[in-house]
Amino acid sequence: MHPAPAQVKWDAPSPAFEASWGKVMMWLFLLSDTLTFTGLLGGYGFLRASSQAWPTPEQVFNVNLVGFMTFLLICSSATMAAAVGTARRGETVRTGRLLGLTVLGGLLFLALQAYEWIHFIQAGARLASNPWGVPLFSTTFFVITGFHGLHVTAGVIYLTTVTFRALQGRLDPDGVETAGLYWHFVDLVWVFVFTFMYLI
Amino acid sequence: MAEAGATPPQGPAGTAPQAPGRLGANPYVRTWFWLLVLTILELLVVFLPIPRTLLVVLLVVLAVMKGVLIMAEFMHLRFEKLSFVYSMLSPLLLALALLAGIFPDALNRLP
Amino acid sequence: MAVVQAQLHEERPLSFWRRYIFSLDHKVIGIQYLVTSMAMALVGGLLAMLVRFALGWPEASGLTPASYMSAVTMHGTIMTFFVLSTALTGGFGNFLIPLQIGARDMAYPFLNMVSYWLYPVSLVVLLASYFVPGGPASAGWTAYPPLSVQGGTGQALWLISLAILIIAFLFGSLNYITTVLQLRTKGMSLLRMPLTVWGLFITAILSLLSFPMLLAASIMLLFDLLGGTSFFLPFNIVIDGGQVTAAGGDPLLYQHLFWFLGHPEVYILILPAMGMVSDIMANNARRPIFGYKTMVLSMAAIAVLSFLVWGHHMFVSGMHPLLGTAFMATTLVIAIPSAIKTFHWLATLWRGKLRFTPQMLFSIGFVSVFVTGGLTGLVLGSPALDMYVHDTYFVVAHFHFVMASASLFGIFAGLYHWFPKMFGRKMNERLGRIHFWIALPATYATFFPMHFAGIGGMMRRIYSIEFYDYLARFEGLNQFITIAAFIMGAAHMLFLVNFVWSLKYGERAEANPWQATTLEWETPSPPPHGNFGEELPEVHRWAYDYSVPGATTDYIPQTVSPRPVAAPGP
Repeated sequence: MHPAPAQVKWDAPSPAFEASWGKVMMWLFLLSDTLTFTGLLGGYGFLRASSQAWPTPEQVFNVNLVGFMTFLLICSSATMAAAVGTARRGETVRTGRLLGLTVLGGLLFLALQAYEWIHFIQAGARLASNPWGVPLFSTTFFVITGFHGLHVTAGVIYLTTVTFRALQGRLDPDGVETAGLYWHFVDLVWVFVFTFMYLI
Repeated sequence: MAEAGATPPQGPAGTAPQAPGRLGANPYVRTWFWLLVLTILELLVVFLPIPRTLLVVLLVVLAVMKGVLIMAEFMHLRFEKLSFVYSMLSPLLLALALLAGIFPDALNRLP
Repeated sequence: MAVVQAQLHEERPLSFWRRYIFSLDHKVIGIQYLVTSMAMALVGGLLAMLVRFALGWPEASGLTPASYMSAVTMHGTIMTFFVLSTALTGGFGNFLIPLQIGARDMAYPFLNMVSYWLYPVSLVVLLASYFVPGGPASAGWTAYPPLSVQGGTGQALWLISLAILIIAFLFGSLNYITTVLQLRTKGMSLLRMPLTVWGLFITAILSLLSFPMLLAASIMLLFDLLGGTSFFLPFNIVIDGGQVTAAGGDPLLYQHLFWFLGHPEVYILILPAMGMVSDIMANNARRPIFGYKTMVLSMAAIAVLSFLVWGHHMFVSGMHPLLGTAFMATTLVIAIPSAIKTFHWLATLWRGKLRFTPQMLFSIGFVSVFVTGGLTGLVLGSPALDMYVHDTYFVVAHFHFVMASASLFGIFAGLYHWFPKMFGRKMNERLGRIHFWIALPATYATFFPMHFAGIGGMMRRIYSIEFYDYLARFEGLNQFITIAAFIMGAAHMLFLVNFVWSLKYGERAEANPWQATTLEWETPSPPPHGNFGEELPEVHRWAYDYSVPGATTDYIPQTVSPRPVAAPGP
């Protein structure tokens, strides 16, 4: 993976960008996933901007709770980044612990998201209707947070397998870094979902 | 395979945290702290008595700042080759192109 | 790579299942994609013949308006997504990329195999829609709401099938981009890659970035269809006399999202063909491609611009007029790199020692139909003119020239050219020439008259002209088109016969039957597992050293060292 210094980076066989294949591929996947979320969030923005009325999120959601959920994801991103560092240094046990904390953060986030959904549904929200007058309000909420939640779930499963591998002694720093990229992406998308669906 | 003791080629990814008490020197803790600050700012801004357009602009700016922090520090873009950074970030312009393309229609729909 | 290395040295041969069905070898996967695409082309072609029959002789065809609409829908869907995209990116992309860059296989062979197998799965879902109540989707290949939201299970299956195919394409693109960036052999810099690889590489990037938008749009449409939501249904919409309890969505949003993919999609269909045709022309003219770097830059420019022109499909949709102007500007600009490429192809032919093999004929034919289609694209790119011809047969003529003709001719050229490498035998040249000389005039005879019908007011997707007095004068024209289309179809059947016959009885091919310079011709035909034997090739020159002044042969392969053969010694 480390090319001779004399070789130009675009010349084979040194890998382009001096990055591992897994890293390049994960970044590419994240780019495409970014565009999927852009389509969904852009659609949400379009529909909301073209609606006459739209409930104010603070009046419907507990924005402080969601703020805490945001904080949770940020913490789990930090533990993930630290795990990448310890993995590079070969510290298996610490990496396993940090990864475990990340998974925990993800699970807590999902639990709180589920709590939020249940609360919202109990207040009368359904996929195609809700008591606040604009059906698309609950539709876009469920579809977008649901899609994001699916990504968090996939991330939790992914990271759990990486954690187990690490704890079994099969630590792969590149693999941990690749998984980390996915997890940070999930956090990054949430930053924008949080802003556009709960704050604005 | 565990690269015990190997120094990675880029960035402070391999930098060991300093002795306890000097957590501020750890780049991840620093990033975490600023992300927390920005999140709190976002929550406060919502309650300011400012015109809506300004509110939206402020929130978007804060979100972008958080995004840049996450990409640069946690996702390590700050330490990657510039060509890689440009290659990965330029498609985001396409996302902006989509939003720009649908924006005039969004604001001009009939009820 | 460890997988391939291990398999290279494997003692026991692989089972039939692992060699031909669940193979990890990019060559087998490429051929699987090609064969499946050819089978689907028969289905799509049959649907086309049904549509043409109905347009020529409505009563005789026996088609009802409903079944006509689903035939049109499925024809468009199958040809665009399940034939052209899969053959070009899945078929040629898989087969050629590792060979032409000097790699043993793709970066992730397992992901590659998964990406193929999602394709038949998506086909099963799509074709299952023929057996559900309500029949298959019939809202056009564009599936615009509100009409598509009235569809039943058939439309839902259509959406799910597309979602599965999109995931297949995404996995494929990830693999191709990573492979081209990371697995090029020693000396194969990006600017020494053949234009075929550039075309496929740029297409993979387009695919990666544009298909997600269709995924987002499909998710929302599925919710509208199955979940009772109204992403795309506006307030107070009345359907079939009854008011639908829909709430506040917008059909225009779907169009924006769909065409954000839809436009790059058509460039996904043409760029690989452009790349392949460039290489085939250089090879058969015994000349380097004219302006290699400009060709690369043009393809890149087309790719970037293709993301900024989607609104030209929506000029009459009621979108904001400002957008109309903006998209007109970008659309007219995108014609420029395409025109540059056309002049470069012509310059490549000029004063060449032309060899009129079937692949060369189809390559030159490609330029012809591409120019014809491209010129009408300029008309369609102006809102003032498009307003008159939108949704008429003028548009149908345009895209059939650039897709059904140009992309298809590119595929034929590629198949004739690379058949020996794939199967170790050559296709029958005589039959290939007959195929071309019937197909080209038949293609023009089929699609050119459609321009006149379109300008004369014949709309797209109508079941029959007999309901419109002012279209009565096009009866003869439509029948003429139908007959020409059947002849065109027959010519393509000739190709199929040639293909199948040559698999068994074709003349055996040596490693480099076309005296070509690129790396795939340095391996046996067909190449073994691992492509290049023990040592990977080393590249010393670009891919276009044909008729180099002062050389002894009229072509110099990429692997030949630039230094003359030195005396042995330390």
